[in-house]
Amino acid sequence: MSQMGRSIPRLEARSKVTGRAEYVHNMRVPGMLTAKIFRSTVAHGRILSIDAEEARGMEGVYAVVTGEDVRKIIPNPYFGPAFHDQPILALDKVRYVGEAVAAVLASDPHIAEAAVQTISAEYEELEPVFDEVEATLPNSPIVHDELKPAGTFADLKHLAGRKNTNIALDYQLRRGDVDKAFAAAVHVFEHEFRTQHVLHVPLESHASLAIPGEGTLTLHTSSQTPSFVRMEIARLLGWPENRVHVKVPFLGGGYGAKVYVKVEPLAVALALIVRRPVKVALTMEEQFYTITKHPVTFRIKSGVDKDGRITARKCDVYWNGGAYADIGPRVAQKTGFTAPGPYDIDNVSIDSYEVYTNRPPAGALRGFGVPQLVWAYESHTDLIARELGLDPVEYRRKNILRDGRPHATGTIMKDAGIDAVLDRIAERMNWSVAIDRGTGRIKRGRGIGIGFKASISPTTSGAIVNVSADGSVVIFTNTIDMGQGSDTAMAQLAAEVLNIDAEKVKVVHGDTDAAPYDMGTLGSRSTFHMGNAVKLAAEDARDKLVALAAEVGLPAGTNYDVQELFRKRYGMRAGNIVGVGSYVPSYTPPDPKTGQSANVTPFWMVGGAGAEVEVDTETGHVRVTKLVNVADGGKIINPKIARTQISGGAIMQLGFTLTERMEFDGGQVTNASFADYKIPGFRDVPPMESELIAANQENGPFGAKGIGESATFGVSPAIANAIHDAVGVRLTSLPIKAEAVLRALRAAQGNPLAEDEE
Amino acid sequence: MIPFDWVEPRSFAEAVASLDPEDPTVRPVAGGTALMLMMKAGVFTPTRLISLAQIEPHYSAITVEKNGALRIGAMATLSALEQSSAVAEHFPVITETLLTLSNVRVRNVACVGGALAHGDPHMDLPPLFAALGAKVLVRGPAGVREIDVDSLYAGYYETMLAKDELIAEVFVPALNGAKSAYMKCTSRSADDWPALGLAVRFEVEGHAHIRNPRLVVSAATEKVTRLTQAEDILKNAEADSVVLKRAGEAAAEEVTLLGDAHGSASYKRELLRVYLARAIRHALAGKSAQ
Amino acid sequence: MSETRTIRFTLNGRSESVAIQPHWNLVELLHHFGLTGARESCGQGLCGVCTVLVDDVAVSGCLYLAVRVDGKKITTVEHLDEGGTLSPVQQAFIECGAFQCGFCTPGFVLMTHQLLARNPDPSDDEIRHYLSGNLCRCAAYPEIVEAVKLAAKLQKQAR
Repeated sequence: MSQMGRSIPRLEARSKVTGRAEYVHNMRVPGMLTAKIFRSTVAHGRILSIDAEEARGMEGVYAVVTGEDVRKIIPNPYFGPAFHDQPILALDKVRYVGEAVAAVLASDPHIAEAAVQTISAEYEELEPVFDEVEATLPNSPIVHDELKPAGTFADLKHLAGRKNTNIALDYQLRRGDVDKAFAAAVHVFEHEFRTQHVLHVPLESHASLAIPGEGTLTLHTSSQTPSFVRMEIARLLGWPENRVHVKVPFLGGGYGAKVYVKVEPLAVALALIVRRPVKVALTMEEQFYTITKHPVTFRIKSGVDKDGRITARKCDVYWNGGAYADIGPRVAQKTGFTAPGPYDIDNVSIDSYEVYTNRPPAGALRGFGVPQLVWAYESHTDLIARELGLDPVEYRRKNILRDGRPHATGTIMKDAGIDAVLDRIAERMNWSVAIDRGTGRIKRGRGIGIGFKASISPTTSGAIVNVSADGSVVIFTNTIDMGQGSDTAMAQLAAEVLNIDAEKVKVVHGDTDAAPYDMGTLGSRSTFHMGNAVKLAAEDARDKLVALAAEVGLPAGTNYDVQELFRKRYGMRAGNIVGVGSYVPSYTPPDPKTGQSANVTPFWMVGGAGAEVEVDTETGHVRVTKLVNVADGGKIINPKIARTQISGGAIMQLGFTLTERMEFDGGQVTNASFADYKIPGFRDVPPMESELIAANQENGPFGAKGIGESATFGVSPAIANAIHDAVGVRLTSLPIKAEAVLRALRAAQGNPLAEDEE
Repeated sequence: MIPFDWVEPRSFAEAVASLDPEDPTVRPVAGGTALMLMMKAGVFTPTRLISLAQIEPHYSAITVEKNGALRIGAMATLSALEQSSAVAEHFPVITETLLTLSNVRVRNVACVGGALAHGDPHMDLPPLFAALGAKVLVRGPAGVREIDVDSLYAGYYETMLAKDELIAEVFVPALNGAKSAYMKCTSRSADDWPALGLAVRFEVEGHAHIRNPRLVVSAATEKVTRLTQAEDILKNAEADSVVLKRAGEAAAEEVTLLGDAHGSASYKRELLRVYLARAIRHALAGKSAQ
Repeated sequence: MSETRTIRFTLNGRSESVAIQPHWNLVELLHHFGLTGARESCGQGLCGVCTVLVDDVAVSGCLYLAVRVDGKKITTVEHLDEGGTLSPVQQAFIECGAFQCGFCTPGFVLMTHQLLARNPDPSDDEIRHYLSGNLCRCAAYPEIVEAVKLAAKLQKQAR
């Protein structure tokens, strides 16, 4: 029976419903100390002194550690995937409120926490900058004295040593001649859209448990990227990688919060300083000071000809990266080149700026920046269609980027079901039939939004498939199952090759001593990259079994019993077969000046949404009465798990659209808890339809590709477009709160709502 | 959190006697949900907690009297109140309000006395009980006194209770056919602290002729607050759209509304205008919750 | 500094006694016994990940002082498959794929047991209201509603 397309339960399902699944959050080992962190209360300042005397003297406190203590064992204690800019504990300067300044270690977490309360620090306060556009202006305060790219990424090298700038990357793309096209255009449209500061909040906060050995180190950590953690820790310590063992059990959610390194360097530094196991486990509040999603300002301008064809698009995107670069520069580049949207436009200009500010660092969050861009370009596209008096679906059909046509980078589109997704949304929305517009205070409207994303490239995945003498199979992989079902998907892929039941396959994930290198569980890359590696490894194992069959004298093509093979070969039940697979897709680096590349991504992700809303014109409340989510899924490995990913991604984006926003007072987050930062709950979920269009990704494993982010793309603009359709006002900033809607309505009526006096 | 003493008096009188009005680090704890939040946030660090869990069981009783009045022991949990069939029969507005009050686990633990004594203006029961004309029976060293719930609150997280007084019981007068509703408006997710809470109780003659209205606003204000000018407009008036609009305008003018992350003061003023009419209409229609 | 005190209680059917600090919460007490199905997540009683039954009533373990369980009966998610058989609720959650990362799942499973004990045949709306105090960041909400309905059916069949 084919293992593809089987909706089997997750391999680990039983351990999750019984509460026995393993998470770092739950781990403790004998002799373990718990670290609690003293954090900066100023957004930008020089550290003058840290007073921890009282804490050091408290009964039960094992040690208090500052940045200077870390420097004694790690001379250059700065980490980060793109820039080596983030100190393990603040050194010399603090750059945002909530930055880690010192750590207290104690066996009893309550004592460590109480001791943190007694620590104080003096700062010479410097002027902070919080806004991503202001931070690029000539007289802005400067967050980092000098740019320090990590050297990992070729396209960041030119930034080394730059001073007096907050721009951590200035990515650009040029195609055709936009100036000429704008001059020739019949209509020119220009808008600015903004997104707010939000964050991931997986229910399991970041946790790392570092256990020092003799010249070795074991690190249990809630990471989406164990291979990178090992490399980065080894680099910081100046150790060979084989002395660092990184293990990752299940994650209690990731969504990008746990990519690259976060609390790992601190756990390691503390453990090596005190030579005891140390656990750093953040609270929910501390997630707000750890990693967030970029707020974005996006200025978008389009030129349109007399037939409504978009002939030119200019995109200026400012990414608020916060105080440390994390993976932000890659967001500005990899996502930046999709800023014009899934449209066939001959003349394109993109400037995408990753900007340092004195806010908490921003990185990857389910979509790697794409949802912020789709919010802008799909709102903009809708406004153009409205202005021209054209149906929004028809307008998109006219301009859509189809397979075989060049993308803004010059890469020819392939296996990207943009038109199919658009058609399916229109069908499910029953777009050709008019809706009831409502009467009285309730008005109704509908809207759509579609988006696309390139995969992260070039990246590598390796896998091992072991077949034991009893025929049982184990996959070794550093792809981490954080809820997306990767263990199950990998088992199904290997089982398909080996012609066994997927349920019988065991997956060992997240163990750098056992499994080969993997770039990371991120960017919806695992099904494609690791899937290909697992498929190759399984094929390797299958080929070796065939060879073994020949070796023991079975004629080719025989249906042999695996146990029998091993018995024949070794004279008893013994031995095993190891299949190895490694996958790197082809890639052509873009030209640094023009962004042009013949092969910028191994595959495209496409997703969209349609929304019907009711607007209460007296209060501005928006109720989503129908949310349709459609994504191009390639060949679907496990339909049930895949569909859950689609609806889950859409609901998460619904929170970013309607309810979630980090509130700031100066640089201080004022709502760092679930009481005041509102993620969607049961009663916020609208009636939904979620669908994956079964297609084929030619170079994917059995035609499969990633889908984890696709459902986030279209939700925000679909809702804003629906509100516009219902009540004729346009919201250009997220989140769309009831008050903002009412203010827009009242302003449109010439009866604006008063602003509060400060 | 750091260690503290935990004492469990066996009687209400003993509990009152163990309170220390001079020491703000000594506090009584009933269900403890709100107090635990304050302790975990580091805004309250106790040296001694007086648990009321072991006091006489009749302080948890819920009784509807023959005349339809309701007595609730301060230690009755919110779930007990929610699940009481007598309460559902005589005060459906209380049952319905509890359905969206925090969540099941909090309701299982939190007690009515604590919910009234905490003084957080965002809570649901204080405005509702104030509109229903409820009183609390309060016991301190000097004996027992009664306080109307609508005058129980002195300010933001401040009550008229002395530091050595405890709420013993809540008395809610019979509805006797009066209409009542509590509406809360959240401005972010569905389960959120309200931007505005509004409770109404009034008697009605004929179709919509209003008698003895009691209107109470919360959440948007510093404390639970009666809307007396709006009440004056509704008193002995026909609740048509003109009167409701006038009452809404009066309500929006007579109280100071506070802007916060749930909405600006001017937005909450709009909400109050709109929700006042909606609450009256809901109550008239016999519906009590959204 | 206050003293430790010894409390006695029944934990998943067994009598236990242990010396605790008065400021421990129920989640910390359970971790002392190696039971990690209840986990502190939001720390504010809003997410339900720390759900525990005390005298058969669901509480938020993160807001419940351990000292309060003296003399009471505690039931955790680990007790539901006593004897190795999953409860109908657990079976239904697997069957409907009603979770992704699984971190919040024990809380949802316990709350569903509570709901069905009170209301053996809940409507969609009753399910959403009852479970509104449990959060799932992976947002498996639609699948959870299906699972609760299937669990109700399985429980009825078992009777």
